[in-house]
Amino acid sequence: MSETAVVELEDLRVKLGRREILHGISCRLGVSGTGKAVGLLGPNGAGKSTLILTLLGFHRASAGRARILGMDCRRNMGEARSRIGYMPENDSFVGEMTAVSFLRQMAELSGLPPKAALEKAHEVLFHVGLGESRYRELRTYSYGMKQMAKLAQAIVHGPELVILDEPTNGLDPAARRRMLKLVTDMKEEQGMNVLVCSHLLRDIEQVCDEAVILKDGAIVHHCNLEEERRSNKSFVELEVTGDDRNLRMALPEIGADGVSEGGGRWRIVLPAGVEVEAIWGLAARQDLLVRKLTHRRDTLEEIFLKAMGHLSHTPGESATLEVGGS
Amino acid sequence: MVLPRYAWRGLYEQRLVILLTMVAFVWPLLCAGFIYLTNHVELLQGLDKEFLDFIQVNGQFFRVFMYVQAGCAVFIAALAGPGLIAPDLSNNALPLYFSRPLTRWSYALARLTVIIGMLSVVTWIPGLLLLALQVGLAGGWWFLANWTLGAGMVVGFLLWLLILSLVAMASSAYVKWRIVAGAVSLAVFFILSGVSEMIDQVFRVSWGHVLDPAWTVNRVWCTLLGVDPPEGPGAGASIVALTAFVLLLVVVIERKLRPVEVVR
Repeated sequence: MSETAVVELEDLRVKLGRREILHGISCRLGVSGTGKAVGLLGPNGAGKSTLILTLLGFHRASAGRARILGMDCRRNMGEARSRIGYMPENDSFVGEMTAVSFLRQMAELSGLPPKAALEKAHEVLFHVGLGESRYRELRTYSYGMKQMAKLAQAIVHGPELVILDEPTNGLDPAARRRMLKLVTDMKEEQGMNVLVCSHLLRDIEQVCDEAVILKDGAIVHHCNLEEERRSNKSFVELEVTGDDRNLRMALPEIGADGVSEGGGRWRIVLPAGVEVEAIWGLAARQDLLVRKLTHRRDTLEEIFLKAMGHLSHTPGESATLEVGGS
Repeated sequence: MVLPRYAWRGLYEQRLVILLTMVAFVWPLLCAGFIYLTNHVELLQGLDKEFLDFIQVNGQFFRVFMYVQAGCAVFIAALAGPGLIAPDLSNNALPLYFSRPLTRWSYALARLTVIIGMLSVVTWIPGLLLLALQVGLAGGWWFLANWTLGAGMVVGFLLWLLILSLVAMASSAYVKWRIVAGAVSLAVFFILSGVSEMIDQVFRVSWGHVLDPAWTVNRVWCTLLGVDPPEGPGAGASIVALTAFVLLLVVVIERKLRPVEVVR
């Protein structure tokens, strides 16, 4: 039985007016029912919001197909929307309603019966930290509270997929931490699939299992962050003083390989299972004094900059190429 | 019925709306008294015979009733209408609605239902009650002879409520501030009436009246109730003009009810 992708795009093209915003993008993101988060990254104008709005049925595809939770975005949008929650980037609320009334109305519009909608509204408001202010009108809320209310309305009906557009926008550090924790809880404890659109790489790195990078309406990179974390392939930037001429030949003792950059600086690739402590031991046996040791994996930022064309290789790729070349 | 339920609850929390609605029941009560008196002529002994012939429950009676209630409905719509769409637009709530199983048309229909429902309470519903009172007092033979009055009254009122509701929704969709939106709702009718009169006077014609929705609706009422119509375009021309006006309002509202604005 084939797994249903959370988002499936087949040569999707979207035009707004005369401008083509998305240029024939194709991909499969996530697996329905697995409780994973997919990050959508890209610079301003890349087409992230257009993609999200197309998935929600707000824009029509000029060519190609888009499916969400296995349902066609054009033909089955009504059914799809009952299983999706959406948190827009901009302020979105009904100012004259209290948070409870607002959430209750939204839950009923998503198909919940009135009594269940009321119970869920109270429950979700407490969950996002707005329990004490749930009877206040939304227009009296602070910015951070409105963001939480927006998240609450997106999850009140227990959707299978939640789409979050810049969820941490404008939040102070504490509120940002709380928001990211809520997103993590949504996928881990409640099994919701999450699609996060953000330009904040560390947010994506923190909560997402998969990342797609868009540029100029096309997908330039698609990586599985979970697998990258599990692969444990990392590299070390080492700087030593002393006679390091034999270091290159000694590295295979610990199963590593490296290349000298001169002046006591080395790039060493560590395979899975080899800890950085082994480097310390090896340096001691070679009578080398370690001046600097940096243990790194390629960060999402480096992957992103390479995808944007600002880097030709990530540091990890450079290390691997240098070691392989020599 | 989710949106209408929440909207009605919100509207009837406003004291001014309740006050206007109560005031709008005064005229139906007076008409009910009138119906009672005309069916108990022994109470009117001693009055002039010509006057007694005049005070009959007929098409003219219901036309006057409708005229006054329609006026009350205009003010209630001006008060309640601005709260229909403007709050959703000013706080960008439309994406939240349309990301749910709710189409733009069902949203618009829900909003229309809210205001037509509110105005029905002070228009055709008391009108039907008056009709029922008359039938009860005058007997079934009166109903058999005059059943078209009931149908004409309901259709006539619904036509007027549709116009009022669409004007209220359009002003709510384009004007953020409630008081201004309410004033715009009222002004539309006065301005169009003034323009139509000006055209008639300047060009010495009578077709200018088709631009006045209040006049054209009244013209249609006269046909439905079998009453002598005022001078000017006929019922057919009035219906065509009203249809064009409704379509124009639908297009105007449709352009605003979008989940996202697209800059082309």
